Amino acid sequence: MMEKYDVIVIGGSAAGLTAAQTARRHYPDKKILVIRKEERVLIPCGIPYIFGSLEGPKQNLIPDMAYEKMNLGLQIDEVVNVDREKRIVETKNGQFAYDKLILSTGSYPAMPPIPGHEKEGVFAIIKDVDYLTRLQDKLHAVKNVVVIGGGFIGIEIGDEIKKSGVENVSIIELEEHCLSQSYDEEFCIEMEEHLRSRGIRILTGSKVMSIEGGQQVEAVKLADGSTIPAEVVILGIGAVANSDLAKKIGLRIGLTGGILVDRAMRTNDTHIFACGDCAEKVSFFGGQPSPLRLASIATLEARVAGANLFGIRREAPGTIGVWGTAVGEMGLGTAGLTEKMAKAHGYNVVSAVNESVNRHPGKLPGASKIKIKLVFEARSGVLLGGQIRGDASTGEITNAISACVQSRMTAEQIAMFQLGTHPLITASPIAYGIVNAAEAAIGKMVK
Amino acid sequence: MHKLLIIDDDVDFLEITSVYLKDKGYAVETASSPEEGLQKTKSVEPDLVVLDVMMPEGYEGFEVARNIREQLELTELPIIILSCIHDRKQVPYRFAPDKDYLPIDVFLDKPVKPEVLLEKIEELLGERRVNPSQIL
Repeated sequence: MMEKYDVIVIGGSAAGLTAAQTARRHYPDKKILVIRKEERVLIPCGIPYIFGSLEGPKQNLIPDMAYEKMNLGLQIDEVVNVDREKRIVETKNGQFAYDKLILSTGSYPAMPPIPGHEKEGVFAIIKDVDYLTRLQDKLHAVKNVVVIGGGFIGIEIGDEIKKSGVENVSIIELEEHCLSQSYDEEFCIEMEEHLRSRGIRILTGSKVMSIEGGQQVEAVKLADGSTIPAEVVILGIGAVANSDLAKKIGLRIGLTGGILVDRAMRTNDTHIFACGDCAEKVSFFGGQPSPLRLASIATLEARVAGANLFGIRREAPGTIGVWGTAVGEMGLGTAGLTEKMAKAHGYNVVSAVNESVNRHPGKLPGASKIKIKLVFEARSGVLLGGQIRGDASTGEITNAISACVQSRMTAEQIAMFQLGTHPLITASPIAYGIVNAAEAAIGKMVK
Repeated sequence: MHKLLIIDDDVDFLEITSVYLKDKGYAVETASSPEEGLQKTKSVEPDLVVLDVMMPEGYEGFEVARNIREQLELTELPIIILSCIHDRKQVPYRFAPDKDYLPIDVFLDKPVKPEVLLEKIEELLGERRVNPSQIL
C-alpha cells in the first residue's frame, strides 16, 4: 500500500532539512518525509576544507540526528517523477502520496565551455563524496593546480590545496580583482595580498582561453598567450539551479533558470513550494532577478516555505547577499551592496570606513584590527550594505549588519545603538566600529 | 513582426519549431549548420536567435554564440541555446549563461515544451526585457 504524507520534501541539504524542521516546528501533528538521493550529505560551505584542514569528505557531513529528534521520515531514494494531478511522488523504489510538496533540489556547478574542459584532471566542485574523494586522491600526487574563478569557493579551495602541500597553486580571475562581486576594491586587494603571502599565485583580469593537453590536462592557456602548467584544474565560477524535476513536471521556470516562486515560496502549483538553490531569486534591492546562490538565502527561504505549507505566515524579502569567507587568520564579511554595486544599481551613496580594535585596551590578548565599511543611500540615510575585514569575530559583525540592512535602518538609528561591550570580547564603547562608521557617514551627509 | 533565426542541424526540429512559432506570429528563418547560422545572423538581422550546441557532435553552438558577440559585434542580440548536451553527455555540471565564457541569454534543455520556448522568447523580446547578462 502506498504511504501517505502531509508533507514531502525532496532534497536533504541545507534548504531541504531546514524546510522539514520548520514544517515540524509549525505543524507538530503533520506526517513529514524527506526524500534525498545521497546516503551522506556534505556540508556545502565546508567542502573547501576537506582538501587541507580536514582529513577528507567524510569529516564534512551534515549529521542525520535531526530526523529522529524531530520525528521526520527519511527515504534515501531518487525521485523520478511527480504526478501533480494525483499528488504522488514516484521514486526508483516506490510511490509516496503527499498533500504539500517542497522542492529543494539544489544546484549544479556552472561549467564554462572552455575548449578542453572535458580532459581528465578537470574538476567542478560537485557535492558528491565519491567525486570529491577522487579529486582529493588526485591532489596528493600533483605539483601544479590551477583554480579558475576567484570567488569565495576559488580562494578557499586554492588556499586549502596549498596548505595540503601542493607546490604551485594559481587562481585565475577574470575580473580586475578576486571577490569583486561582493567586496569593494580595498577589501579585495587586502585578501589578494594575503593569499600571495601564503604562496598562492593570483592572476586577475585574466581570461582562460583553453585547457591544454592530451587526454590528461597539462596546462591552462590565457588570453595574453601565456600558459600555466596544471595537472589538475578546478572550476569555481558559480552555481546554477537544478530545476530538472520542476521542468519535467511543468512548473514555471524563471529567467536565471530557477523554479519560479512568489514571496511565500509557492510555485505555480498551489500544492508545491520550492526553496534554496533550485528556486529563482529576486534581489532585496529593487527586485530584479538575482543570480546569487548562498546558504543564507537558501535557509531563509526554507524557513518561509516550511512555515507556509498550510497557510501563509511569512514572506521572503529578497536576496540581501550576506556571506563571509576566511583565509588563515583573515576573515572577510559582506552584507548587501558594495559601494560599486550600489552605484551600478543606480543609488546615490555615501560611505564611511572605520578601523578599530576588537578588545579594549588593544594590548589585551586576542586583540585584532577590524575594518568596517558601511554604504548608505545618500538622501534617506538607509543602510544598503557593509563589509568587514578582521579576525573570526567578522562573522557575527556581518550578521549584525545584515540585520540592519534587512530592517532598512538609517545611519542615525545605527548611531543611536545601545551597545554592550566588554574588554575581553568587544571593541571599546567609545570606538565601536559600526556606530563610528555610521557617525562618519552622517558627517558626510550633512555637509 | 519580430524576426527569429533558428540554427539547428536537426531539420525536423527546424520545421516543427518554425511552424509553431510562425503560428504564434513570428517571422522565422532557419539555418542548418553553424556556418549558415552565422552568415544568416548577419544577412537576415534577426531580433532573436535560437541556437543548438552539438552540430553535429562538438560544441559548435558555443562557438557560434561567441562569434555573434565578438565577430559580428551583436552584443545585444538575444540568444537562447536549446540543447540536449547535458543529457547526452551525462555530466554532473551545467553550462549556463556567463557574460564572458558563454555570452547567451537563456540555456534551455531539449526536449522543451513549445510553450516554454515561446515564454522565453516573449520574455526576451518583451518591453520589460531583463537582459540576463546584465543582472547584477
